[in-house]
Amino acid sequence: MTSTISTRNGAANTTANIKQLFSRYKIMALLIAIAIIWAFFSWKTEGGFVTPRNLSNLLRQMSVTGILACGMVLVIIAGEIDLSVGSLLGLLGGVAAILNVTHNLPLPLNLVLVLTLGLLLGLFNGYLTAYMRIPSFIVGLGGMLAFRGVLLGVTGGLTIAPVSSDLVYLGQGYLPASFGVALVVVLFVLALALTWRQRVNRTRHALPVAPLWRDAIKVALIGAVLLAFVRTLNSYDGIPVPVLLLLALLGLFSYVTTQTVFGRRIYSVGSNMEATRLSGVNVQSVKLWVFGIMGVMCALAGLVNTARLAAGSPSSGSMGELDAIAACFIGGTSMRGGSGTIYGALIGALVMASLDNGMSMLDVGTYWQMIVKGSILMLAVWVDVSTRSGR
Amino acid sequence: MSEYLLEMKGIVKQFDGVRALDGIDLKIKAGECVGLCGENGAGKSTLMKILSGVYPHGTWDGDILWDGKPLVAHSVRDTEAAGIVIIHQELMLVPELSVAENIFMGHELTLPGGRMNYPAMYRRAEELMRELNMPDINVALPVMQYGGGHQQLVEIAKALNKKARLLILDEPSSSLTTSEIAVLLKIIKDLKAKGVACVYISHKLDEVAAVCDTISVIRDGKHIATTPMEELDVDRIITQMVGREITAMYPRRDHEVGEIVFEARHMTCLDVDNPKRKRVDDVSFSVRRGEILGIAGLVGAGRTELVSAIFGAYQGRCEGEVWMNGVRVDTGTPLKSIRLGLCMVPEDRKQHGIVPDLNVGQNITLTVLKNFSRGTRIDAGAELKTVNEEIARMRLKTASPFLPITGLSGGNQQKAVLAKMLLAHPKVLILDEPTRGVDVGAKAEIYRLIAELAKQGVAVIMVSSELAEVLGVSDRVLVIGEGKLRGDFANQNLTQEMVLAAAINQSPQQRMHIATPSAA
Repeated sequence: MTSTISTRNGAANTTANIKQLFSRYKIMALLIAIAIIWAFFSWKTEGGFVTPRNLSNLLRQMSVTGILACGMVLVIIAGEIDLSVGSLLGLLGGVAAILNVTHNLPLPLNLVLVLTLGLLLGLFNGYLTAYMRIPSFIVGLGGMLAFRGVLLGVTGGLTIAPVSSDLVYLGQGYLPASFGVALVVVLFVLALALTWRQRVNRTRHALPVAPLWRDAIKVALIGAVLLAFVRTLNSYDGIPVPVLLLLALLGLFSYVTTQTVFGRRIYSVGSNMEATRLSGVNVQSVKLWVFGIMGVMCALAGLVNTARLAAGSPSSGSMGELDAIAACFIGGTSMRGGSGTIYGALIGALVMASLDNGMSMLDVGTYWQMIVKGSILMLAVWVDVSTRSGR
Repeated sequence: MSEYLLEMKGIVKQFDGVRALDGIDLKIKAGECVGLCGENGAGKSTLMKILSGVYPHGTWDGDILWDGKPLVAHSVRDTEAAGIVIIHQELMLVPELSVAENIFMGHELTLPGGRMNYPAMYRRAEELMRELNMPDINVALPVMQYGGGHQQLVEIAKALNKKARLLILDEPSSSLTTSEIAVLLKIIKDLKAKGVACVYISHKLDEVAAVCDTISVIRDGKHIATTPMEELDVDRIITQMVGREITAMYPRRDHEVGEIVFEARHMTCLDVDNPKRKRVDDVSFSVRRGEILGIAGLVGAGRTELVSAIFGAYQGRCEGEVWMNGVRVDTGTPLKSIRLGLCMVPEDRKQHGIVPDLNVGQNITLTVLKNFSRGTRIDAGAELKTVNEEIARMRLKTASPFLPITGLSGGNQQKAVLAKMLLAHPKVLILDEPTRGVDVGAKAEIYRLIAELAKQGVAVIMVSSELAEVLGVSDRVLVIGEGKLRGDFANQNLTQEMVLAAAINQSPQQRMHIATPSAA
């Protein structure tokens, strides 16, 4: 949990890099877009959209796409794409259901097995891409079919239900209100401490330091958002377990991308693979592990999905890859690789989930939902492309 | 009609409040060739982008008169219609298409129904090739079958086909061989005689001196001087460009040359696309501790392939042995090579040198990032300390290590790439065209650095197409021609003519005396 904040914070006020300034404004634009979407749906549903109950549902619905997006953003930053994640999610969720229902495996063992399987299948995709030099688009396309086929085979085309209650807790459980309050306090103190440490460090290295009032406003804003977040969720049933998982992933992945050697190399490989290779970096291994992580994320998403539905379904996760990829692009990940952020991708996932949720509330036909989501994706990428070339 | 074909008056261009151009004047008569000189970042490219319409009218201040009338261009299309054509440093040809198709790109001659009128296009293309004294080019063959020099001529033919009255040549000779440059310069002189005006931009000042009638020098976005060439020589142009005398451009100094630390034996590289063709054919050589070995040769001779193969970066198949300190080593990948202390600064900075999405500091620490690893995270403070030390050591000009590397001038980008490799503590350092596209000031600093490294005992292998550079910097010169070792000279009383002769010379009887220190 500690890492959760380190990133929020780290991402928001790192260097005086022009590019990051640019992406920060883009995130502002995205947040404004979300505000508009929410305002629109609240107006149309006469406030039904912004009730604690619906927001809690919205965040839970977003969690599967969000978990996938966390992995997908790394894949896209590394200059690749993975189209197989929807099917892989379905397969791993199905395997979890089978292990749970048919074999009565205890939950911890089930988790370990499914996560390991996810890692191995992800690494397999990565191996085909990085070492066998099959374009990732093709590897993904093949995997999309093949994994779905395996899922249909192992389930026999039937829904596997009902899964045990401890597995269901992963997708449907809530944390006690006191936990939420404690979490907010811890996160706020962390935000404060990290901002302070950053100021001290920047002063020590004689780098320009943001004015104190700006940092103060920022920390206050973070506090306000955290407070609103936990108050809203606590006034319903508390923080949903998958949302907590998503927060933890946000922290972990932001830490990996901004603070670690591996993270730096992902950006470097995606930005200029040849220059990175000539600098003595094993670019194939970087790509291999990025796909490995993607596989683990598929496993997590599959587990949460099965838990949410309380069943393993042969069709679950279909089109999941599109939601995840759209979330990344809406969140400002560059199509050419080399740049992108975790929080951006999650905001993108929130946009997608809000559209889904709001349109369902309004009883808009599924076909309209698809048309709107597709258009939003193109709009987001168009904005990205047009602002980039303008510079 | 005005006396001048083109008059640019008081051109001012700002980027984010910074004046890249600060009141530049430029006048060109028909049939005149103006040399535009200035260090990298002086504003030459910006000025030419304004002239050619890349920056449309209204995004800059000042006036452009074309034939005495104001020129209002909103895009490159408008300036091309007026007869101003720019040929960029990186050629804008489609390698898979034929010479004729490239010449007519965007202006294809068609038959009814939108079919390509190949006979007419071939006829016109052949006509243009004759005009350029290149009658033996087959205009129906793909451009990629021809070398850099011929491709440059195809670009010029393309410009002439657009009825160019003013040709802007931006570093046209950077990838040409000496003989190809001679052809290019002759063609420019022919064009001048036909009334075509030229703007010639090059860091190679002897070419500028040979072909230009007038020299305009700009420095830091300001116009410094416009002088007829007859009143100038290369040294005085350099003085105007940098505003200071470059006394010891090539710091030849005595340094200790020790034992043999590096040997390449029987290096052979096969062409990536055509495995029957040997790009490098059984080349062996050695380098001593603290020695600077220059590798000269014509472009396409196989020098880059040779050093890439040694470093483990060659894409095609290659054979040969690499020995360091008397032990045979495996340099199959760049990672293995760098671990052994064999580092390379590649030729193509944009493709193989910089990582555009990383900032200056992150580019510099790419090779040694693991050294800053504390637990799971990067120690940002330690990294920044090293980056700042390197920036100071290389005299790299950047306002902050956190700025994007793409914002730096070519010379400073090169310094960053060099710093990246030096951080890996090379014992043997390969520099492939280390000063290509680098301004005069940065060049001198790179030479100083090479000398310093040699003094510290690093064995330096420098590939360069500039003979003056090879002779000015190296202790020993290796000449490669058509993939074969053509000569190995101690750099004593060695002249450019001797090196060039060895590079061109094809008959083995006439080969220069070979003074290989390592007994083959």
